Amino acid sequence: MRLRYAVVCSSNQNRSMEAHFLLKREGFDVCSYGTGTHVKLPGPSLREPNVYEFGTPYKQMFDDLRRKDPELYKRNGILPMLKRNLAVKTAPQRWQENGPDGQFDVVFTFEEKVFDMVAEDLHTRDQVLLKPVLVINLEVKDNHEEAAVGARQTLTLCQELEAIDRWEDVIDDVISTFERQHRRKVVYTISFY
Amino acid sequence: MSSSSQREQALSLLAAANNHGDLAVKLSSLKQAKDIIIISSIDDDFSLFADQLFPYLVQLQSSHHSLVRKTLIEVVEDISLKTMEHSPVLMPVLLTLLNDDDSVVARHSIVAGTHIFCSVLEELALQFHRHGFVERWLEEMWSWMLKFKDAVSRIALEARPVGPRLLAIKFLEICVLLFMPDNDSRGHIAEVPKSSQVFNISWLAGGHPVLDSIALQSEANRSFMILLDLLRLASGHPGCITISVVNSLATIGRRRQVHYSSVLSALLDFDANLISKGAHTPSIQYSLRTAFLGFLRSTHPVIMESREKLLKVLRAMNAGDAADQVMRQVDKMIRNGERAARDARASKDEQPSSHMLKRSTPMDQEHIVSSDSSSKRSRYGSIIQSESGQNHSVNGVSTKAQPLANGLTPVEQMIAMIGALLAEGERGAESLEILISQIHPDLLADIVVTNMKHLPKNPPLLTTVTRQNGPPTSSSLGAPTMPNHVLTNTISSELPTTASSTNLQPDLKRESRRDPRRLDPRRGALPGGTSSEHIMEDFTTSAQPGLAESDVDMSALFKRQPPPPPVLSSAENASEIVMPKAETESHDPENITFSLELVPDEQATQVGADMEFNIVSDVATPPIDYVNKELNAEKSTDIVMTDEEHSLSFMDDDQLSPCTVDTPVLEETSVELPVVPSYVELTEKQQKDIRKLAIKRIIDSYKQLRGAEFMQTRMALLSRLVAQVDADDDVIMMIQKHIVSDYQDQKGHELVMHVLYHLHALKMSDSSEDSSVAFVYEKFLLGVAKCLLDVLPANDKSFSRLFSEAPFLPESAFKLLDDICCSDNNCGKDIRDGDRVHQGLGSLWSLILGRPNNRQAFLDIALRCAVHPKDDIRSKAIRLVANKLYVIEIISEKIEDFATNKLLSAVNKPVSEAEQRTEGQIGSQETSISGSQISEPGTSNIDPATGSQSDSQSDSSMSPALAQQHLSLFFALCIKKPSLLQLVFDRYDYAPKAVKQAIHRHVPILIRALGPSYKDLLKIISDPPQGSENLLTLVMQVMCEGTTPSADLVVTVKRLYETKLKDATILIPILSTFTKNEVLPIFPRLVQLPLDKFQTALAHILQGSAHMGPALTPAEVLVAIHDISPEKDGVPLKKVMDACSACFEQRTVFTQQVLAKALNQMVDQTPLPLLFMRTVIQAIDAFPKLVDFVMELLSKLVSKQVWRMPKLWVGFLKCISQTQPHSFRVLLQLPSPQLEGALNKYGSLRGPLAAYANQPSIKASLPRSTLQALGLASEPQLQQQNHAASFNNPDKSAKVQGT
Repeated sequence: MRLRYAVVCSSNQNRSMEAHFLLKREGFDVCSYGTGTHVKLPGPSLREPNVYEFGTPYKQMFDDLRRKDPELYKRNGILPMLKRNLAVKTAPQRWQENGPDGQFDVVFTFEEKVFDMVAEDLHTRDQVLLKPVLVINLEVKDNHEEAAVGARQTLTLCQELEAIDRWEDVIDDVISTFERQHRRKVVYTISFY
Repeated sequence: MSSSSQREQALSLLAAANNHGDLAVKLSSLKQAKDIIIISSIDDDFSLFADQLFPYLVQLQSSHHSLVRKTLIEVVEDISLKTMEHSPVLMPVLLTLLNDDDSVVARHSIVAGTHIFCSVLEELALQFHRHGFVERWLEEMWSWMLKFKDAVSRIALEARPVGPRLLAIKFLEICVLLFMPDNDSRGHIAEVPKSSQVFNISWLAGGHPVLDSIALQSEANRSFMILLDLLRLASGHPGCITISVVNSLATIGRRRQVHYSSVLSALLDFDANLISKGAHTPSIQYSLRTAFLGFLRSTHPVIMESREKLLKVLRAMNAGDAADQVMRQVDKMIRNGERAARDARASKDEQPSSHMLKRSTPMDQEHIVSSDSSSKRSRYGSIIQSESGQNHSVNGVSTKAQPLANGLTPVEQMIAMIGALLAEGERGAESLEILISQIHPDLLADIVVTNMKHLPKNPPLLTTVTRQNGPPTSSSLGAPTMPNHVLTNTISSELPTTASSTNLQPDLKRESRRDPRRLDPRRGALPGGTSSEHIMEDFTTSAQPGLAESDVDMSALFKRQPPPPPVLSSAENASEIVMPKAETESHDPENITFSLELVPDEQATQVGADMEFNIVSDVATPPIDYVNKELNAEKSTDIVMTDEEHSLSFMDDDQLSPCTVDTPVLEETSVELPVVPSYVELTEKQQKDIRKLAIKRIIDSYKQLRGAEFMQTRMALLSRLVAQVDADDDVIMMIQKHIVSDYQDQKGHELVMHVLYHLHALKMSDSSEDSSVAFVYEKFLLGVAKCLLDVLPANDKSFSRLFSEAPFLPESAFKLLDDICCSDNNCGKDIRDGDRVHQGLGSLWSLILGRPNNRQAFLDIALRCAVHPKDDIRSKAIRLVANKLYVIEIISEKIEDFATNKLLSAVNKPVSEAEQRTEGQIGSQETSISGSQISEPGTSNIDPATGSQSDSQSDSSMSPALAQQHLSLFFALCIKKPSLLQLVFDRYDYAPKAVKQAIHRHVPILIRALGPSYKDLLKIISDPPQGSENLLTLVMQVMCEGTTPSADLVVTVKRLYETKLKDATILIPILSTFTKNEVLPIFPRLVQLPLDKFQTALAHILQGSAHMGPALTPAEVLVAIHDISPEKDGVPLKKVMDACSACFEQRTVFTQQVLAKALNQMVDQTPLPLLFMRTVIQAIDAFPKLVDFVMELLSKLVSKQVWRMPKLWVGFLKCISQTQPHSFRVLLQLPSPQLEGALNKYGSLRGPLAAYANQPSIKASLPRSTLQALGLASEPQLQQQNHAASFNNPDKSAKVQGT
């Protein structure tokens, strides 16, 4: 495994963690992040989400929600998700503060907004190392089922990227082929560290 | 470890790296060697060591292991960064490996090279600042770096593996960022230069022996151009190259706003069709979207300006939501910034200057926001300062002004930059070209004109400019003798050019803006520049010691130093005071305001300073020649010569020579660069001439430069020049001619707009020159407008567009419009007149819509046209007003009022007369409603009361045509708003004849136009004002014409008839809808009407409606007429007779059969209709064939004992008489007394009747009494009969007589 991957969604809970979980299981070098200002999890109603700071351990959230309404959060899959997450890493991390984590070769985002934020964030960083980074957006709806599908497709794409020598030369083909095979819209951009 | 053993170890390691068979060993040896080299680099004799070792390193570049080469690159990078002094020898490795077959190696060498590049650049700048010189090795390194740069630029363009190209593109971006000043990036937290790229081009502001800021900028421009080219050639590249280019351009656009407009337009113009086949198009498009969103995030004013455009594009890309979100974020940021600015300002209330408050908040915000970045940047300057250990004199004003020096206007910045380029001579030429091609045309024009402004008013003054290689004012180290250079030095870290020093001079003389001067950095570079500034400041301080004290307080940031004694300073600089006045006064307005802020009450001081200063410079002027010659004899003579040429040419008023003077910056420099343009003061007239010539040349240039080349620049230039020529007729004519000739391709319009807006802006901004600029503006606008009218066809929209888009319309423009629309007097161009009016009105329309401020004025013109005496104009104007303007809510009321007034004036003017007339003639007038039947002029003449001249005249002036003229508009409005008709009805009664006629003429058109939507009309009809009956009838006639009246109308009219208006006339139009039962009751009323109306009514009755058929058949009509009883119905018998006659006139309707039928019906009636016999006689007259039928009728009458009805009896006998001999049979049926009477009455009957009766067949059937009466009584039979008859006769006849 040559490349370092980052998978990014909004809250670093569902889509990115699903992909993180899967890629990690497959032995990829992967980190996961969220770009939002806070970690938001669905609450009893649309207007009352559960809001946490990035860095709050998944375990803590798990306990918190289980205390609040175990039935609800079990039924809507939040508790199982958190359980899965805490097995992958300790706490959600924010993309904008991931400087110390080093550079990635490929960053996957699962939402246009997140893609924009990652691109903008990379733009504002010091681009000293001149290390190219490929940012790919794969639009995935924020629910458990879609997240699972998205993670599998991310894995496929990662495997394809691993299989080629230098992604710069063939990225157009890889993306186009992937789009055709999976009937998904994908966009990519290139930034630098 | 000793240095020699280190050396040996390193050598063996390198040998291993070169020769060992195992790759791993090679790599580890190489790395170890590198470590040793770096460790030993601190040794004194390292250079020897390096000389020995580095060749081995260089050898490694030909290793066939790409990993070794890659590691070599890393090693070279590390060593170069650590021991740059010794690494020039390693640079060829870098260059060679750039083109390595293995793209990984190539990539690494680009990255390594870039890092070395940056640090060499930084070192160059720092070294010079620290030590005042640049070492040879560093220069050598830099020359390698330039080679590296060129090589990488090539890589970006070559078809190669993508990896290195991506990095090459990134490198180009870095180059642009490094070499372009970012003095615009205030207020832009995110875009502050990164710690990695510490180098900032502004460090070179003080000049640099190796690095030349202008050359670097031109390098940057070249790199930028390569990027733009790459974008244009996107079809030839893989998608990720294009994406990379887009991203890089976006970064450049955001961080270097000089390029923003080019970047934006390049990105906007990017054609998705150009994308190469294999590329992933959505991603490329998305990269554009990301770029635009990025721009939207910027709060820089330049970028903010294009927000609308960006939003539009983003919306078109379906990124509207994202864009909106970004906008919200940015707005929030700005608001926070403003709040912070307010707080900061509040805390700074020790300087409560009005200027501070006046300044726009964004600017403040920018300063606040950028404060940390500027302090970051200025830190560099202060470091040098402390290092240099110099004693600096600190001027409070300038120190304080330091952060504000950023506030240089773009024009001044650019002038400074161009000046610097000029100073570079040939080297700068290319950069200058690039620079100029990049400058926004408006800016470029401003630059040129700003410079032209500085053409002196005073008589030519001979001066020379010394070209300086060194940067004496900007670098304290370079010119340590200068006492106060620290201030320019600190600022030089802020500003890219040497102009900063001049800009800091706190001259507050506003007037000086118009004074001869040239804002040229070379002048700033003159020793004189500083010294004179000095003097002035010194005067200031000496004049107001207290003030000086406070100044110094403000400079608390710096080491506080008392200013040098003024005497000393003047003495020191005495020989340098010779610089021309212009130079010392070249300050920009920004600084002036800032200075005002800082020293709130220094107005007095200023004046003092200025006065003193003027004295100084006046004194200084005489020795100019002398000093110049002393300083550099060669140059001064050159310039004296050229100057003489100029003066000569001025005297000759040669048209071409001055041109070479007036465009010195752009033209002269490119031709013969080394010669610094001399500075010439021109007289008023010369300036004027030059401006004229400049305009002429620009206009001429259009002929040569077809297409859009420099179009913008030329426009901007022309507009500024026009503003300066002070309404010179020739010039304006010349431009007009040019504009009109060019109007077709629409450039003319743009030019005019440019000029107008510029003039307008001047007018707005400069109240003192208000009148003259306003005058030029007006003249120009009108001139162009007239030209357009004269030259272009009338259907051309240019005129209207001109007026619509002009920034302001003077009074005379309204006059012009008025002339076009309402002119009677342009009889010379009758043919096009109509079209012109049309054009004028069209313009009015668009102006009313487009210029709300002047709406009333335009409307007035339009309305005036709408009552114009000429039919043609009027009808056009009415069409405009009624159809297009009246629908506009805001003005509809005004239009209505106007039309109403016109109507009322038409009606009312003669109203007084009409009243007087009725008073005077009340006896003689008929009471007929239709006053219109009275001949108007006649009555007014007869009437003694209205004999006054004026009245009768006004009356006669109200001719039908005039009435028409006044009413047309109103009626046109009625079509749009039928309720207005009420007024017509209301006033109808008072209207004079001519007006009534006009109304009668309009109403049919109106009603027809209204169509079925006459609800309002029905309302009026239901309650018509007194005296409007005629009008009402007319209206109804028209309404019912050719169509079945609507049920509403019928109901309304019927009700009206039943309640208010007993005039059957109004029923006529709707009669066709009446049933028999409805008609019959009103029939007498109809008969009673004047004959013509009755005839109409008759026609309606007989016509009937489509579904019901006629209400009455003709026969029934006849019967109905006859049924009218004069006594009972109150209808004069005469009317009934007339009605009958009217029927008989219509022989096609009242045919023989109809008559027969009617008569047949009537004859059975009891009593017989009064006019029965009359009708019978008429019938037999009209249709002689009816004779047999009539005879039968007569017989019936006989049997009805017609002689008992005296009135009929007369008719009967008349009929008998007329119808003889056919009537004999009937006659003979009469009883003999009646026969006797008849024969007595009509004696002529006797003979023929006797002859008839004497016929044997008849005679036999006749009674005796009859025969007796006929004198045929000889026969006994007859006598018998006769007897019998006479027996009965007496009482019968008596009876008849009794009836």
